[in-house]
Amino acid sequence: MNTRNRNFILGGLAVALIIAILAPFLASSNPDGLESTAESLEVPESEAAFQSPLPDYAIPGMEENPLGGVVSLILGTILVLLVALGLAKLLSKKNGNGQP
Amino acid sequence: MHIPDGFLGWTWPIFWIIAIVAVGYSLKWARENLDERNIPLLAVLAAGIFAIQAMNIPIPWGTSGHMVGAALIAILFVSPWAAVLVLSIVLILQGLIFGDGGMTALGANIVNMGIIGGFVGFYSYKTLKGVGRIPAIFIAGWASIFIAAIACALEMAIAGTFPLTEGLLFMGLYHAVIGIIEGIITVVVILGIERVRPDLVPEWVRGKKKEVTG
Repeated sequence: MNTRNRNFILGGLAVALIIAILAPFLASSNPDGLESTAESLEVPESEAAFQSPLPDYAIPGMEENPLGGVVSLILGTILVLLVALGLAKLLSKKNGNGQP
Repeated sequence: MHIPDGFLGWTWPIFWIIAIVAVGYSLKWARENLDERNIPLLAVLAAGIFAIQAMNIPIPWGTSGHMVGAALIAILFVSPWAAVLVLSIVLILQGLIFGDGGMTALGANIVNMGIIGGFVGFYSYKTLKGVGRIPAIFIAGWASIFIAAIACALEMAIAGTFPLTEGLLFMGLYHAVIGIIEGIITVVVILGIERVRPDLVPEWVRGKKKEVTG
């Protein structure tokens, strides 16, 4: 990977991480459009069919602490970047266009 | 718009099947179209979309909404399949790790936000780009989330979770407003990328270059 691409990834990741760090403090805690519709129509909340490790972007045991959200979102942002990068590289190599 | 478990009743496997077929096509698109040049953009946008989906912006009626990003990806990669790929990565990780969107509802969430969002965004921009790229990008962003919300309301009605009319009314109203956020951010991100890396912005969305005279 050349320097230009590396710098673009680092710059883009920095922007994404700034959003991830600010989101737990700035994001509205109002229900989203679907949740709001469900509330208006008195649809009961449902149970998750699968227990995720960091439900609602919170660290279990410190749900009230926005830092848990910050840590979750930082982890998630980096993970999404790595998965997308890895998958894309894997797929593009199969076609032989992995070389610049 | 992430559907939780339980809201789809018996219908959830149908959406899983549609989503799996679409993800297959999106992987085929990736094999044929991704290269050293555009992979960084795809990865960075996926990370950015994950982060910005946590940034809920308040709208009236005690409600909030966030950007989805499917139109953005479809326009920048000139393919709705790119949006299916990126939104699928984001939605799978959100569901598995953060419980954002149910795992049984993952198929429907990919159908709504990835497939419908991506295709509506792509074809809206394709149809409207003659009017000017900025209004076309804005409307593509707006329509991508609005139509996805309408589809979501229909799915809720089929499952018997929401009554049809009220579901359409509330989902349509909220997402008509959330769509404005989607439209604005889609425009801002495309113009921002054009500023730092014009080579990553495809021909059909590039601004007219000033003519060189003399």
